[in-house]
Amino acid sequence: MIYKLVVPGPIEDVEEVRVLEWHGASGRAFEAGDLIVELETYKAIVEVRAAQHGILRALLCAAGEWQKVGLPLAVMSDDGAEALPDSLAAVAELPVEFEVS
Amino acid sequence: MSSDARQKLFFREAIIRALREEMDRNERIIVLGQDVAEFGGSYREFEGLFERFGRARVRNTPVAESAMIGLGVGAAAAGLRALVTITYMDFLMLGLDPLVNYAAKARYKTGGQIEVPLVVKTTAGAKGQGVAHSQCIEAWLMAVPGLKVVVPATPADAYGLLKSALRERGPVVYVDHKRLFPTAGEVPNEETLIPLGEAAIRRCGSDVTIATFSFMTRIAERSAERLAAEGISCEIVDLRSLAPLDMATVCGSAGRTGALLTLEEGQLSCGVGAEVIFRARESLANLRTARIGALPAPVSSNPILEAACIPDVERVTDAVRGLLASR
Repeated sequence: MIYKLVVPGPIEDVEEVRVLEWHGASGRAFEAGDLIVELETYKAIVEVRAAQHGILRALLCAAGEWQKVGLPLAVMSDDGAEALPDSLAAVAELPVEFEVS
Repeated sequence: MSSDARQKLFFREAIIRALREEMDRNERIIVLGQDVAEFGGSYREFEGLFERFGRARVRNTPVAESAMIGLGVGAAAAGLRALVTITYMDFLMLGLDPLVNYAAKARYKTGGQIEVPLVVKTTAGAKGQGVAHSQCIEAWLMAVPGLKVVVPATPADAYGLLKSALRERGPVVYVDHKRLFPTAGEVPNEETLIPLGEAAIRRCGSDVTIATFSFMTRIAERSAERLAAEGISCEIVDLRSLAPLDMATVCGSAGRTGALLTLEEGQLSCGVGAEVIFRARESLANLRTARIGALPAPVSSNPILEAACIPDVERVTDAVRGLLASR
């Protein structure tokens, strides 16, 4: 199954974040609890962790790029060989846990 | 790099960049305020300056607003250039004596022998903090000869106006809105100063002019989007500077649309809108006008009462429809 990793929310007052650091490149497998990406809000860092297994397939926002809450940062999948869709509109969100610090 | 290259920054980062550039350029600039040094400021808007410029130029002060501004006025009169930060504009009241009676009058009183290049940086506006941490008293300051007042709505304007303020010969009050800190926006990579006293047209339209500033510019933009769906075309003038006031831009726009709505978060009585509308009417005949501001009540820390007190999209869109119906 294909998933999109979106900017998690709601985070109080935050509409938009900047990608600070990816913890892995395309092809890396993440297990539940693994830190995937750190995001920067206007005053805090958001750690986004996988809540289930997933393989990072494509980064849509590199470090330093901006994205709005709820919009996709990356494409992930259960299996590294699954073909990626043209559109993410109907793709499920990868379950994540996030912490604002 | 081309001259129109831009980089998106958080609001506070635009402030830091302006300060860093101006402090690099002019070693006489000092920053004074509560928690501005190691802590980096209440909104992290001074982050990195202490590390770069050191304790002599980025100085923590006690919680004593009158002494802080008094110190800044004295330092500026003696040849430094001081930026004093007052976290909430409500507490600027404690420092009005040195600001109004000394800084704003020094050049006049000494026949030009003493200048006070002081910037007081502060925040206005409601954000859940109650009666004495939410006020917008910019209009009080507009009534002081010798004082300039700037009110950015975007990171690019925060950057460009703060840089200009730090090159002024006399005192400037620079006011951020608390709700602007979560926002981000494009800022030119090339060093850019925005002159004090130049408004900006944020949106072009033909039916009504909305003159506003600071966070209310965003409320005006959302209102204009909603009204556009009804076929009403709004032009938005972001004043950017309240003293001096760019009436040429306001009147140019209102002269084209024939209708002027002012929108501010502060009080209507003797407010920014009262001044703008009166001056516009002095030069434009048959101008239809209306103004929106906070209700005449303290701003509660109760979120429902806070929202009821300050202007929102519903009040703006209702006011525009009412103004156009009076045609």
